[in-house]
Amino acid sequence: MLFKIAWKNIWRNKGRSSIVIIAIALGLWAGVFASAFVSGMMKQKVDSVIEKEISHIQFHAKGFRDEFAADLYMKEGAQIDMALHTDSSVKSTSGRVICMAMLGSANQSGAIKAIGVDPAAETSVTGLSKSVVEGKYFEGIKRNPILVSTRTAKKYKLKLRSKVVLTFQDLNGDMVAGAFRVAGIFNTHNGMNDEMNVFVKRKDIGKLIGIPQGAYHELAVMLKQHGIAEATASKYQEIYPEQEVLCWLDLGLGMRYMMEMTGSYTTILVGIILVALLFSIINTMLMAVLERTKEIGMLMAIGMTKGKVFTVIMVETMYLALIGGPLGLLLSYLLIQFFGEKGVDLSGAGYEEMGMASIVYPFLSTAEYIQVFVMVIVMAILAAVYPAIKALRLKPVEAMR
Amino acid sequence: MKVIETKNLEKIFDGPVPLKAVNNVDLTIEDGEFTAVVGPSGSGKTTLLNMVGGLDRPTGGVAIVNGQDLNELSENELIDFRLKNIGFVFQSYNLIPVLTAKENTEFIMLLQDIKKEIRDERVEALLKEVGLEDKMDQRPSQLSGGQQQRVAVARALASKPSFILADEPTANLDSTSTSNLLDIMEQLNKEEGITFIFSTHDQRVIDRARRVITLVDGQIVSDERR
Repeated sequence: MLFKIAWKNIWRNKGRSSIVIIAIALGLWAGVFASAFVSGMMKQKVDSVIEKEISHIQFHAKGFRDEFAADLYMKEGAQIDMALHTDSSVKSTSGRVICMAMLGSANQSGAIKAIGVDPAAETSVTGLSKSVVEGKYFEGIKRNPILVSTRTAKKYKLKLRSKVVLTFQDLNGDMVAGAFRVAGIFNTHNGMNDEMNVFVKRKDIGKLIGIPQGAYHELAVMLKQHGIAEATASKYQEIYPEQEVLCWLDLGLGMRYMMEMTGSYTTILVGIILVALLFSIINTMLMAVLERTKEIGMLMAIGMTKGKVFTVIMVETMYLALIGGPLGLLLSYLLIQFFGEKGVDLSGAGYEEMGMASIVYPFLSTAEYIQVFVMVIVMAILAAVYPAIKALRLKPVEAMR
Repeated sequence: MKVIETKNLEKIFDGPVPLKAVNNVDLTIEDGEFTAVVGPSGSGKTTLLNMVGGLDRPTGGVAIVNGQDLNELSENELIDFRLKNIGFVFQSYNLIPVLTAKENTEFIMLLQDIKKEIRDERVEALLKEVGLEDKMDQRPSQLSGGQQQRVAVARALASKPSFILADEPTANLDSTSTSNLLDIMEQLNKEEGITFIFSTHDQRVIDRARRVITLVDGQIVSDERR
């Protein structure tokens, strides 16, 4: 009966209860969708960073990432590469020879990172071949083909078959240069990253640097699952203590921090919205209690215990939250599902410049939906306490006057 | 059998000038009485009934109901005591507006955790006794003042109380409704021995009472049995 009375009580003032319910639903809708937007953006960034830039794990000689010195190479790079292919959790690997170089064209020169790759291995790890928008992936040029980004091509006024010169230090510290011809122009939609890198064949640049056969500066590893990256990196660090083995979270770029921040984002944003809604509910319930002072006094007079009075007020508040909350979550879910497939097109808003995708696919995990629902329940309970205590403090005789 | 006994019962309200609303009242109410407590406004009638009904604490003296000194009970114990021993009929009916006549009457029994079958049977019988068997599913807003007060009487009876305290029960009723209500209450008193104690200005109630206690300035000035 108490639940029945509580249910009927909230509909005594249909307008007021409806406004509170709609406020909860809309507030949650906005908050959850915004969280999903950020979550989707971060997820895409992480996926992009992993799939197109840094992979799940990278091996380096210790100190290489600080100096990019040519002589800091992994002598047993190829052997480690072969050993990794016996691990069933490894999807693909790519051994790279890397140097910091000066890129010179007829019009311009500037600093660049030249990444020497095995074309087949590289595309299995980063899908580089799919990013080629003009020309071919290391085909069509017999000697020293090079892939440059669309930004680099624009900056250096390069076309297909344009000649460029890469100048860099070899193992002995001497300056060496090599002429390369543009075989293809790529665009990974990560403006920042594209501008920094050019790709050449590993054997071409390796010969110029003087690096031994089978030695790598960098070994990139893609795993079959995201979730095992950290553990796998730790495992291989123990197996190869003389190398530096890091997972994507620790490969700079602030990825770990970004992941932790994203995880808190839903909690903080939705929490702020729920705190605002909490005061709205408290206000509504206080009005409802004050309007019913006489009735509550009568109920206590005829024998309704304070515990039951408290329960009725609590249940009324819970009803408001439990209608508005799931409604808001449902609206959020539908919107997230819709834009999760269609995407939110933010082209021209500068996201590509920052290394973010310009089309964002909002995403929220089941665990996050549950987290929001729990937050709604907690908010409802907190909102109910003060009005319920106010009701308890009423003395029957005074209340009925 | 004594249902209510007060000894030196006193109530002083704090204020700039303390007010002695009830002044050393000794009173005994027996089982089966149909008693009106009368007096001018401010004479202490409502305060006296609030104290014997356990709704207010005396500042002096004792109120003993069914042998229980109400001063010895805590707040929660008083609530429970009222539920089991005392029925209330208020001036402004005070029904729960979201419940039907049947649900309002049943409410007290729900608070007492009485089983559904017993509740259903008793509610039907009570509403029939007050002549509202055809209004069971109507809400207070759909009933007249007299009908609402009859539901209040049925609710007061539902817990099988030792006595019913009725504070100005006819104040908001027309003469026909008043007459009907008093007929029902008299009948319940005579046929079922239910004790009624009224606080009233209404002469129609006073005329029907078999005992009239007059209060002036918080003291009993007369106690007439008819």
